[in-house]
Parts: sequence; structure tokens; C-alpha cells
Amino acid sequence: MFAAVALVTAVSASGIAYWLNRDAVLKRAQNASLNDFRGSLTRNVSELPLHPGCQDLAALAVKVASSGLAYDVVVVDESLPGCVASSDPIAFTVKQVPPALVTAVNKPRETGPGNPYAYHLYWQRVNLAGPYVVGGTKVVPDGPTAYMFKSLQNERADLNTLGWSLAIATLLALVGSALLAQAASATVLRPVRRLGDAARRLGEGKLDTRLDVEGNDELADLARTFNRTAESLSDQVAELSAREAQSRRFVADMSHELRTPLTAMTAVTDILEDEADSLDPMIEPAVRIVVSETRRLSDLVENLMEVTRFDAGTAKLVADEVDMADLIMSCIDGRAWYDAVELDAPRGILAVVDPRRLDVVFANLIGNALKHGGSPVKVKVRQDDDARTVVVSVSDGGPGIPEDVLPHVFDRFYKADKGRARSEGSGLGLSIAEANARIHGGAITAANHPEGGAVFTLTLPLTQPPAAGPEEAR
Amino acid sequence: MTSVSFLLLIEDDDAIRTGLELALTRQGHRVASAASGEDGLRLFKEQRPDLIVLDVMLPGIDGFEVCRRIRRTDQLPIILLTARSDDIDVVVGLESGADDYVVKPVQPRVLDARIRAVLRRGERESSDSAAYGGLVIDRSAMTVTKDGQDLQLTPTELRLLLELSRRPGQALSRQQLLRLVWEHDYLGDSRLVDACVQRLRAKVEDVPSAPTLIRTVRGVGYRLDPPA
Repeated sequence: MFAAVALVTAVSASGIAYWLNRDAVLKRAQNASLNDFRGSLTRNVSELPLHPGCQDLAALAVKVASSGLAYDVVVVDESLPGCVASSDPIAFTVKQVPPALVTAVNKPRETGPGNPYAYHLYWQRVNLAGPYVVGGTKVVPDGPTAYMFKSLQNERADLNTLGWSLAIATLLALVGSALLAQAASATVLRPVRRLGDAARRLGEGKLDTRLDVEGNDELADLARTFNRTAESLSDQVAELSAREAQSRRFVADMSHELRTPLTAMTAVTDILEDEADSLDPMIEPAVRIVVSETRRLSDLVENLMEVTRFDAGTAKLVADEVDMADLIMSCIDGRAWYDAVELDAPRGILAVVDPRRLDVVFANLIGNALKHGGSPVKVKVRQDDDARTVVVSVSDGGPGIPEDVLPHVFDRFYKADKGRARSEGSGLGLSIAEANARIHGGAITAANHPEGGAVFTLTLPLTQPPAAGPEEAR
Repeated sequence: MTSVSFLLLIEDDDAIRTGLELALTRQGHRVASAASGEDGLRLFKEQRPDLIVLDVMLPGIDGFEVCRRIRRTDQLPIILLTARSDDIDVVVGLESGADDYVVKPVQPRVLDARIRAVLRRGERESSDSAAYGGLVIDRSAMTVTKDGQDLQLTPTELRLLLELSRRPGQALSRQQLLRLVWEHDYLGDSRLVDACVQRLRAKVEDVPSAPTLIRTVRGVGYRLDPPA
């Protein structure tokens, strides 16, 4: 960029200098010759006889030419055709005068105020074995016509010298400007580019990006400002994530602390439940509430802990290769749902999954379908065509999910019916199911079946990326 | 096995200890309890229980250490009470020699089912014996000898070896083994199998790191290879 500007400037400067000089030099040489020619002609023409012969004309030519400035003169007279009156008859004759000049010279102008003479002195530059200026004029109205040939060879030589000097000067200027450009890019452009790169890195989240500050100029100031901004940005991000980690830890710690009393309570709920039938009818409902709510609280805490593990990224897969049909069957068996669920699952679809996590997923999806949709709940398992994923759909015969609720079904603690503050679930079930699907590299989607009822579809890859499953060391 | 099993419960939280003691007693077990690892080890030596239910987080020596110390001399079943199912606790616990684990808060019937399943593993069934090289499995005496020397196997290790030896040369998946040995009627934690196989190899293989008897079958599970 810099180099281009320097090049254009240098070339145009020397170009303009050359053209101005050339014009001035040529004009000066030419005017001097023409003026001299005019003077010499005026002085010598008076000596010409009234009807001059060829000899006289030749003498005139020689005389006019001998005034000192090196030019040659040709004199012609219409009354003497064939007469070659030249100061150098071998080199110059009238034939070398351009016809346009002859016409101009021989054309009388209208005389009047401001133009006292009918004939003027005309000139033209021509190339006759070198650059020449040819001037011509009629001596008197009926007299001979004189032409002057002045070589501009010396001037051209001078101009060539000048051209060379200018070219060399331009070259030097170019080299100089290239060096200058280099220096400029080193001191200005490179730091600016570095600043740009650093800003881009910062934008990509590399908050530890800093610039080396050198010198005391505006660029150094800018670099310092950049460093300060980056510093405060990373401080703020660190503070925010620390606060987030703190609150996450709080939830994790709290759930953990809740677990100890819950373990003790859970240990005795079975006893209470067994004895409830034989209790006083006044006390029995109270005992039943304690039992059922203890279980709910226990589920809720378990789910909360699961959620904090997902949030903290500490949830792990304990993967094993299992038959999907077996997995769903054991989920249904374990919860005594056989009568309520229609299972359509071919055997032999093997997937590398965490059986416990998938059990949670199916328990949530099927439990949800039973609760909100009601029987018949249909569970269908299919392998996709390229044998890379398995698709499990859980559909129910209920009213389906309202359109405005659909985008929120996987949200935590989202209750479809605001009026019903206490629902049976923890409000975390579907969110955990979805997170469990995601940790397997799969997904769950919710939709409504065109024929009514909600459909939850779980898509899972059949194999896990190597890092996800615990590989045996042996 | 006697019809009433004698359990030792080691748990530091008073409420949990009392609650589980109540519940397990109600399930038909005789229960002794200790509030620390040290007390537990002492009680274990004095009273020789049939099975230990062991909390992982204990003041003083923790559950893993208690487990390791017991395993030095005895092969009785140990069930761990852990806080979380998916963290390092389970792996370390199983490597320390525990037979099974349950996650708090545990339902007493679940714990009871696990206890009964573990205890069943030590019951004798048939009365034959089989030899695999230097290894002799006597099914009637429920003993295993290697080059004439008695091997100290936990009931779970013994059951695993029996199940594998019943189908020599046939690969069994981890889930199959979980059903056969641990009696998990749902799909369980395959780490139980892996940890137990490792402990078993340490006892029966000549070079545990290069097993020739209990082989890993990639993508399937494990297989007992009769020596050629």
C-alpha cells in the first residue's frame, strides 16, 4: 500500500518535471532561433534586387544563415521554380518543408487593426534525421519565401540527460519510500495487526490474551488499554463462574446433607408401612403420609443430586453392551407396569449404554406417559437403517401436550398446570431423562401424535465414543 | 447357613444406624452395630458375623480401609453403603474387596434382597468337582485349591468361578454374570463383575496381569478356558 503510493508519487513527480522542462527548453531554443531568423531576414532582405535571380536568393540564404545561431536557410521564389537557394543545398531544400507549413506561410491574412501584416512567421517541429524546428515566412507580399531549419539535437541530448537523471532520482526515491514503508509497517502496521489478532482471540474466549507494551506512543497506550480491558473482563468472568460454582456446590452439598436424615427415615418407612394397617384409624393416615412423603422427598433429593452432577459435568457413564429389549423389559418389570405397557421391541438390538441411566430415562418416559396420558402406553423400539442408532418411542392415549407447553416439557420444575402446585413428580424427571440421553450422545424429543396422545422419542447411538465408556485396562 | 443370619452394621450416623438396625432386624436378621471403623473391626473379631454392611464415609479409618483389613484374613461378604452410584467410591470399594454396594438412601427391602443374594452365594449346590490344571474346584465342599493349597475366596468370587466353570469355554456377558452371581433381576452395574474378576484372577491365575484361565472376551464378557 505504502509502496504503491510512493511509486505513483515519485513517477508522477519526475514525469511532470520532465515534461515541464522539455517544453521550456524546446520553446526557448526555438524562439531564439525564430527571432534571430526574423531579424536576420529583415536586415538582409533589403539588399535583394527588385527581381532577384537564383544567385541572389542563394546569397541571401547564406547571409541570413550566417547570423551566428546555427541554422540553415532556404529561400524560394515562385517566379524562379527550380532554383535551389539554400545555405546548405545538400542537406536542406524546400522539399523538406512540410506542406502544411508551406500552405500556412503562403496564405495571406486579412489586414486590419490588430493585424497589420498579411504574412506571418509560422513554425513546425519536424523530424529530419533528428529533431528540427522549421520556420517560414514570406519576406514581402510578392517577394520570396524564406524557410529556416534549426536542429534541436543539442536540446534533445540535454533532455535525454535530464530524463536519465530524473529516472535515477525516481528509482532512488522508490527505494527510499520502500524502506520508509517497511519502517512504517514495523512501527505502526504490525502493532495494529497484533492488536487486531489479540482482540479476536479475546473475542473467542481466550481471556488470558495480553499484549506486550513497548514505548510510549499512542499504540502503546492502546495496548495498555487493551490489557486493562482484558484483565477486567477475565476478572468478571472468573468471579461469575466462581459464584456459579459456589451456588452449584451449595445445591450439591445441601442435597448431600439432606441424604443422611433421609436414609434414616427411609430405613424405617417400610416398618411404618407394614404396621399401618394395624394402627389406630386416626393415626394410620398420618403414618401413610409420612411414608409416602419420605419416599417423595427421597426421590426429589436423588433427582436434585443427579441434576447437580449434570450441571457440574461430573456425571459419568458406566457403559455396558445391553439388549435394548431386555433393558426396557427390566424397567417395566421392576416397576410392575406389565399390564399397562405394550412393548414392541425386537430382540438383538445391542447398544453400549449405561443401563442405570437408561433405566432412569425409560422409567421417566413411561411413568410420565402413564401418569398424564394413561394406558395404553405403547413403547416401540426400532433400529435405524444404517444400524448406527436406536429409536425408542413412548406414546400414550391421553390428551397430548398443549402446544404452548411443548417447548417447556424438558424444563426443570416446569408445571403444565400452574393451578396444580403439587404434582406427583419431582418436576425434574423429564429434564434428567433428557440430560441422560444427551450424555449418551442421544436426544429426546416431545411431540403430539396426529391421532392424539403425546409421543416422546428417544434417539441413541448404538455405540459410545471410546472415551465415554470405561475401557478395560487388560 | 443358619436361617437367621448374623449381620454387622458399621455406620457412624446414629439415626441411620438405628433405623437400619430396626429394619434389618424386622427382615429377620440378627444385627450387631458399630459407630466407627475401629469399633467395627473389634466387634467383627469378637462376634464373627456372617456378613458386614459397611458405610464408606466413617470417621477415623474409612470403609475402604476396614474392607481391606478384613479381607486380609477373612472372606465373608461385605456390602457397601455409598453415597453415590457413579463416582469413584464404588470403584475403590469394589477394589477393596466389597461384594456389592447399595446407594443411600436405601430401601430396606432392597438391602435385604442384596444381603440374601450374597449369602446364598456361599450355599453349596451339587456335589462334584472339576479340575483346571492345578486348580481344583470342589463343589461339594465349596472349596477351591490351587496346586494343593486352599484358596481363600469370598462367596461372590467362589460363585463367579462356579458359574464360569459350569460353562467352560463359553463366554458370559457381564449382564449374564450379574444375573447369575449377583441375582440382579434388572440390568446392573458391570463394574461389579469387572472388579470381582480382577480379584479372582489375583487369586487363581499364575500371572494375574496375563490371565490364561479367566479370559476377557472383547465386546462380550468373560470366559473360563480349560487349560490345553
